[in-house]
Amino acid sequence: MFMQLTISGISQGAIYALIALSLTVVYRSTTIVNFGHGDFVMAGAFLSYVLVVLLGVAFVPAAMLAVIAMFLLGLAFSRGLIRPIRGGPHIGFALMCISAGYVFRGIARIVWGREVLPMPRVFDMDPIFVGDLIITGDAVFILSTTGIMLAVFFGVLALTDIGKMVQAVYQSARGAQLIGINVDRFNDFTWGIGAALGAIGGILIAPISLLHPDLGASFLIKGFAAMTLGGFGSLYGAVLGALLLGLSEQYAGAYIDSALIDITAYLVIVFVLFLRPQGLFGRKTIVKV
Amino acid sequence: MMPTPSQLRLRTALFWAVPLLLLLLPLSTNAYVQFIANSIVIFALVALGFNFVIGNLGQLAFANTALFGLGAYGSAILVNSFGLPWILSIPLAGFAGAAGGFLASAAALRGIRFYYLAIITLAFGELMRWLYVHGTSITGGTDGMSLPAQSLFGVSLVGDHAKFYVFLAVAVLLFKATLNLLRSRVGRSVMAVRENEVATASLGIPTARIIVFAFMWSGFVVGCAGALFALHTSYVFPESFGMLHLIVSFAMVLVGGLGSVIGAVLGAATLTVLPEYLRSFPGMEELFFGLIVIGVLLALPDGLASLLRKVSPIFFERYYRE
Amino acid sequence: MPPLLEVEALDVSFAGLHALRDVSLTLAPGQIMAVIGPNGAGKTTLFNAISGYVRPSGGSVRLKGHDVAHLSPHSIAEHGIRRTFQNGGLFPALTVLENVLTGLHAQTEGSILDVILGRKRALASELEMIARSRDLLALMQMDHMADTRAADLSGGQQRIVEIVRTVASEPPVLLLDEPAVGLSPLARDQMMDIIKRMAGEKGVGILLIEHAVELVMAGADRIMVMAAGQRIAEGTPAEIREDRAVLEAYLGHA
Repeated sequence: MFMQLTISGISQGAIYALIALSLTVVYRSTTIVNFGHGDFVMAGAFLSYVLVVLLGVAFVPAAMLAVIAMFLLGLAFSRGLIRPIRGGPHIGFALMCISAGYVFRGIARIVWGREVLPMPRVFDMDPIFVGDLIITGDAVFILSTTGIMLAVFFGVLALTDIGKMVQAVYQSARGAQLIGINVDRFNDFTWGIGAALGAIGGILIAPISLLHPDLGASFLIKGFAAMTLGGFGSLYGAVLGALLLGLSEQYAGAYIDSALIDITAYLVIVFVLFLRPQGLFGRKTIVKV
Repeated sequence: MMPTPSQLRLRTALFWAVPLLLLLLPLSTNAYVQFIANSIVIFALVALGFNFVIGNLGQLAFANTALFGLGAYGSAILVNSFGLPWILSIPLAGFAGAAGGFLASAAALRGIRFYYLAIITLAFGELMRWLYVHGTSITGGTDGMSLPAQSLFGVSLVGDHAKFYVFLAVAVLLFKATLNLLRSRVGRSVMAVRENEVATASLGIPTARIIVFAFMWSGFVVGCAGALFALHTSYVFPESFGMLHLIVSFAMVLVGGLGSVIGAVLGAATLTVLPEYLRSFPGMEELFFGLIVIGVLLALPDGLASLLRKVSPIFFERYYRE
Repeated sequence: MPPLLEVEALDVSFAGLHALRDVSLTLAPGQIMAVIGPNGAGKTTLFNAISGYVRPSGGSVRLKGHDVAHLSPHSIAEHGIRRTFQNGGLFPALTVLENVLTGLHAQTEGSILDVILGRKRALASELEMIARSRDLLALMQMDHMADTRAADLSGGQQRIVEIVRTVASEPPVLLLDEPAVGLSPLARDQMMDIIKRMAGEKGVGILLIEHAVELVMAGADRIMVMAAGQRIAEGTPAEIREDRAVLEAYLGHA
């Protein structure tokens, strides 16, 4: 029982990790939290659905196309809608993100109508039995894909020149500007990366759940909770927080009350912010008066 | 440009003339149009209260939905379970909202600010919604609860036309009170905290108390609006108090103009009326809602109210009467 | 009678590091005391400790004999120690008049309920404070700017408005953190005149951080020199000019 819950917790957490990570990537470079990110995730899933079901593209190329399209959309969003309102109150960014999300949602609903659509399964793998433990094909699919994505992401960040540049800008945007990095373009780029990572999350969700235009909203909150838990703004924290959140949802749901699955994320947010606002893995920042 | 003394008198005259003219509105509307008009009045109050915290106090707190729900459920429970006449439930719903605002301010005073505050207050709203769903014996669960027919001084409050007069009266009182606040040392301190909290304290202004008050006043206004909403739809159920309500009211505040009282009316009217035209086309409603808000954010960063201020200084609404 | 402001053996430490060590001073009504010293000497920390923004780890701050060292910033301000800020503390989106009015918060009558209900009491007091603010602005030839947003003022005008706002409530003690920074030489002299007038005419005790040594030599009654969180000298401008410790530690002479 415990191991079974652990496996479902980790595979839920893996999806949350992609979402929390994609939010963090943007937040770190721009200090903007994408309140419309749930709809970016939905849009990624939606695009892959259109390609696979309506246009008959095979799943893997369809997924890659959808991710590239979302990357470009993220870039365009930053360039066209975020940059122009930089002079205004910061609060405007939150509403801009939400509104862009609404546009995605509206378009999806125009195409989809009010129906809930099943995405064809990517591959039907028989579950693996280990003792009395059942590991479903979906869990294998999600865990292997996110595992690879995370390895690539953190590998690029740690080992390549681009990764080092990203870290440099994260450390100090001013310093990066001095050594000739165009911060505006860099921010556009991180929006693209954020949208692409979110899209991967959406594409992973698509085959295992029903698709509908509102599927993003709940994932946004999970992303927030994961970020809060791991320490807002920390890349590794986002991943660890997401895994912990996935696990606590499963445990709380099974051992306490199944109604708690829905609100675990909210309870996590409230308790962490009141008791340890820097998150479990964050260091306390000293605020200068 | 600041208003001159005579313009200030005109401003006061205008404030009372508008609701007086609106008294004639029900004579020319059918039930559907009147229902929309009632929605605008209620959402203007929602935006007014929300604006007090995000526009005037400058705190990114999203407790608005929780406060609205507290007011609506508070009113419905008082009427259904305690047999209170609905009209008396309005101020009590306001106090329920104020209590919710007090809770949210506790987070702000604990140093939970900005995005943290946004996220924790978002969680507050969703936790409240979970309580409405699971507190079945009191709230009716997912089915919600309906409000019995109400009357006031022997006049039945069943039709949308009759309700309008009560809603309008409550709205005028709360708008007047909020303007009084903004034109006093209290409102000024609220805005001073937004501008520079450290410097505000150096002037002998108790910043913590000001923050708590601003949240509570916001809660009171939104809570009262919740009570109106309960009668407006005669029915209270959890889905009315979800993310959609938050997003719509947030957009109303920014489209109207952050920190602007008249902006609350403009934002509520714009974003209530326009989606109505598109209601029957799935998706169009959301698409155009998104596009309108994006358009306003790009073209009018200070909201629709800034257009009025360009027309005449009488729309500069802060400030005293000399 | 106890002195107006008496700071005794004030200590401030952050994480074991002493930012302020054993600093004492006494200020009389109408007296201008300048605090000078190199960057990092602890001048602003001293102000922050007196005005309650930093909690002292030892020592006392007494205003007319009452210990205020452990009160919150707003209660210290209410007791009558008011300050300005080095980076400017105006409220940019509020008008000049509104800025000055915030300085009169505690003097304005009427409870929150009076305000909400629009009762005469609150309204009358509000109008009285508006008139008082306009008079104060007129004294500084700033009345024509009353309805301008503070953000739209020049740097010098902002400094003046901040001082008007700070003295509006007629506090007995004033802490001015580099009030003349960024001003033209002419505006700087005017600022010094204003400060002297407040001390001379209203009897305000003024503590003043200033980098321009020639300015304080001419304007201050007493000078306190700080270095590395400690007081290294205190006296009249003439005495300070002769002080060997000051010359060595601060002015850099051998």
